[in-house]
Amino acid sequence: MTIQEQYKTRVRELLSSGTVKMVIGYKAGTTADRRRPLFIRTPEEADQLLLDSACIANLSGYLIAEGLLSDEKRVGIFLKPDGIRTINILAAEAQLNIEQIIVLGFDITGQEVTALQGETAGDFSALIESIKEGAPEALKNPLIDQLEQLNPKERFAYWQAEFSRCIKCYACRQACPMCYCRRCIVDCNQPQWVNTSSHTLGNFEWNIVRAFHLSGRCVGCGNCDRACPVNIPLRLINARMAQEVLGSFDHLAGMSDTQEPVLASFKKDDSETFIL
Amino acid sequence: MRTEYPVPLAPFGQQLHTYKDCTMAKIGVFICHCGENIGAKVDCTKLAAAMGEHPGVAVAVDYKYFCSDPGQESVKKAIRENNLTGVVIAACSPRMHEATFRKACAEAGLNPYMCEIANIREQCSWVHTDPEMATEKAADITRSMVEKVKRNNKLKSIEVPVTRRALVIGGGIAGIQAALDIANAGQEVVLVEREPTLGGHMAQLSETFPTLDCSQCIMTPRMVEAAQHPKIRLLTYAEVVGVDGYIGNFHVKVKMKARYVDTESCTGCGDCITKCPNKKNSSEFDCGLGKRTAIYTPFAQSVPNKPIIDKANCTYFKNGKCKVCQKVCELNSINFEMQDEFIDLEVGAIVVATGFQVQDNSVYGEYGYGKYKDVINGLQFERLASASGPTFGKILRPSDGKEPETVVFIQCAGSRDPSKGVRYCSKICCMYTAKHAMLYAHKVHGGKSNIFYMDIRAAGKGYDEFTRRAIEDDEASYLRGRVSKVWEENGKLMVRGVDTLLGKPVVIAADMVVLATAMVPQPDAKDFAKVVGIGYDEYGFFNEAHLKLRPVESSTAGIFLAGACQSPKDIPDSVAQASASASKVLALFSKEKLEREPVVATNNETTCAGCWGCVLACPYNAIEKKDILDRSGKVIKRVASVNPGLCQGCGTCVSFCRSNSLDLAGFTEQQIFAEVMGL
Amino acid sequence: MSEPFEPKIIAFVCTYCTYAGADLAGTSRLKYAPNVRIIRLPCTGRISPMFILKALQKGADGVLVSGCHPGDCHFTHGNYHARRRWTVFRALLEFTGIPLDRVKFSWISAAEGAKFAEFMNSVTEDIRKLGPFDQYKELIKETEAPATL
Repeated sequence: MTIQEQYKTRVRELLSSGTVKMVIGYKAGTTADRRRPLFIRTPEEADQLLLDSACIANLSGYLIAEGLLSDEKRVGIFLKPDGIRTINILAAEAQLNIEQIIVLGFDITGQEVTALQGETAGDFSALIESIKEGAPEALKNPLIDQLEQLNPKERFAYWQAEFSRCIKCYACRQACPMCYCRRCIVDCNQPQWVNTSSHTLGNFEWNIVRAFHLSGRCVGCGNCDRACPVNIPLRLINARMAQEVLGSFDHLAGMSDTQEPVLASFKKDDSETFIL
Repeated sequence: MRTEYPVPLAPFGQQLHTYKDCTMAKIGVFICHCGENIGAKVDCTKLAAAMGEHPGVAVAVDYKYFCSDPGQESVKKAIRENNLTGVVIAACSPRMHEATFRKACAEAGLNPYMCEIANIREQCSWVHTDPEMATEKAADITRSMVEKVKRNNKLKSIEVPVTRRALVIGGGIAGIQAALDIANAGQEVVLVEREPTLGGHMAQLSETFPTLDCSQCIMTPRMVEAAQHPKIRLLTYAEVVGVDGYIGNFHVKVKMKARYVDTESCTGCGDCITKCPNKKNSSEFDCGLGKRTAIYTPFAQSVPNKPIIDKANCTYFKNGKCKVCQKVCELNSINFEMQDEFIDLEVGAIVVATGFQVQDNSVYGEYGYGKYKDVINGLQFERLASASGPTFGKILRPSDGKEPETVVFIQCAGSRDPSKGVRYCSKICCMYTAKHAMLYAHKVHGGKSNIFYMDIRAAGKGYDEFTRRAIEDDEASYLRGRVSKVWEENGKLMVRGVDTLLGKPVVIAADMVVLATAMVPQPDAKDFAKVVGIGYDEYGFFNEAHLKLRPVESSTAGIFLAGACQSPKDIPDSVAQASASASKVLALFSKEKLEREPVVATNNETTCAGCWGCVLACPYNAIEKKDILDRSGKVIKRVASVNPGLCQGCGTCVSFCRSNSLDLAGFTEQQIFAEVMGL
Repeated sequence: MSEPFEPKIIAFVCTYCTYAGADLAGTSRLKYAPNVRIIRLPCTGRISPMFILKALQKGADGVLVSGCHPGDCHFTHGNYHARRRWTVFRALLEFTGIPLDRVKFSWISAAEGAKFAEFMNSVTEDIRKLGPFDQYKELIKETEAPATL
């Protein structure tokens, strides 16, 4: 049995036994290499389920849709390790109750999809632990290194060119499971901290604020990057920030559902070499 | 995901979070020459003219001294005549005269928080040489403040009701002193002690330095006074397990541990103790040098003088058979079924006086503590020297009960030793070691005492004289140096150390070795600090709000510190701090309501996403989780809610808040934005 | 330019330490460069990274942030939280090409009037050498409207 069929069976079981009220998975999209989210409420609907190497989107943002979890019933969801880390963060930030989530874990290496053993987010803690061990290596990115070789002027010019394309559609925000605020700071106009016009200054401010708000919270799922209609390499900034919090505070986002947010906590001996 | 609920805002919150219409602002700008101090560098007339042109400025004038009486009068007059909505005083630092001018504004009918100070003296005229640039900078500073004050809110000082009842945690000398001082001033006190009796460590001591009066003689009357005081409710064998609330309004949960003896009916006759067959339990009060029964009072003068059953060692609890105590008790006071109980208290202030412990000296393997019976610590020596102790005040070796002919005292056994012990000085050891040497000399004639020391620290009234007496009258031999090893040889304890003044190693054959053990925090101090909601240092001593200026207050408003829980202290210091804490409590209780500066955070509950980062970041536990209910009482969402009684106004939460929902009165986002943009 | 470039620098400081240190520099009559404008806040914990961005938008050539030394915070922990925030925000600024020579952080206590004065001088001199922050000013110009309230 293929992994897709195994999981279909599992989804049908979960629904027919009443363990979950819904499973969030993937179905075919508009093109061959695109997938759309699938919200499965009955065992029959599981027929549409697809699970292959194109299922890369992090679905966890759908869990915090208004009212979905408020009846305290369980929901199943297909998640890669980055998605599991995401729900850990959402739980740590009190946006969902981790016990309501049944994880259908999988991972993609190249074209191959493998199943991950476990049912609740906590079952994957050993896996996430190993991700943290490998993180210094995994977060490396030749483009980041290249950018860091440039002088500030050149780096500024690079981002100026990238951000000049931004049209302030906020698709990056909408696609990000971490952007759950009821009111985004950019929509706050008293005072208007972030310029809303899509001139480069406004775009620059928006993208800096976005990256700052995701520092220590982003798992690098790439939803923002893929959602961007003008292909701004948003993931690059996020990855750089992830490197920073890992290096400076030994913090990898989403280790557990009780992990303290890196910017709401501190250690007295945090490094401060830059402070005069 | 991003729907907004029509949740009503708190009136105070509304004020901060809504748009400030600045078009109707009428700001008065008052530029002070401060004699020559400002006027010599900053062209005040030019500055006034420039400010007069600024949008929203109704009046801009300069004057020699605005802080003078006529100066203040002119400000008041301008406020009344022009119906000013805000005032900027461009003068000295706000740290000098902010209060002066706020008061003047209030007298003229303007909300005092509509007044801001532009610091053009300390941070401009005094530090710059070029008049033109100084004037330009002064204009920037003043303009920035004008823009800020346009967005100021009419704040009201915060009133917090006060429950006039104090909780004192810890029934040692510090706790008793604080409780008595508060109660004698007519306020109610609840005194909670976790041991079965009041007394703490002081009750264990033999004599006290520098007067050598008997500790119990001065301690026990205070214990009795506290227990019998009509204003003091005494809860012994009880532990504080939860503290909620804030200054003036604390909710406290106390666990009354099961004593298995009904204290109401028990008269303390002691029949049960005499008859208890289980007599071989190590006495905590005697530091393991004596024995006690399984049903016991820690010592003869215990307060309350009602026994408890040591459940871990009681024959009945272990084997299910015995109950001798129950049989002999004529009042039927023994109850083996007793359970822990919980009491809720409402108090307005808390004094934490939880004391200390002595360090476990077994970390010093080379001194043989725990290995050789005759190596004891200072507290054990107190018990030996105490008339009520296991030897009735005779100095006898624990191993064979013989009088020691030579005793070696080792100071700084743990203190000032970063490698094995603690880095700090325990403060009392120099004094009590001198006292021990004197007591030994008085009790064992011809006894020879040798004291190894690093420094003699005897600062205090009558203290240095005391150590001199030990040396001169009682012939204590002080050797400046450390001990490297203690071992047993032919029934003697061989002490090898160094006399650094002679520059020679020394070996002393002793009959007893006394370690002047470090004072350390209670082992559970850090956990307890979290229960109470106060800070602690790296060791576990509780943190004062300010080491010099607020030494008896914790960083949490309404919670005070007394005694050795804050740092090592002797009795006079503990008592002084306890009385100081009591006076702080009484000052707090002197009014029905507290008034506080309204610089506190508020939350916009409509936009709050409930991520609780602020709850974690707040240094004062001032942010709570609040349920927003719909009409049927169902929880719609949970939001952060700032308790203005606890909030100290640092604004850490505000900068954390990603959705910009939190804001800080007096330093709002709009105000700071305007300040930057006004530059 | 014949005249030396006078940089515009905006400083965000806490009232208990650095603001008091600045006052001490004043009462000690120390002399320092007049280029820095100070914004007073209760605590470094109140200093949001947003302030730095707005200072740049206002045309600042440099931004300073300063507060109590670790362990000295009037509010016990505010500066520790601030320090974490700065570490992250500083890395972000660096990565996006804002020169770190233009955004500086320091601890200056209420007793360090001399340090404050020296810091003002050295920062002003450094930024004078860097010249105006033209790259950012170009962005501001592109908005076709000056920064408004």
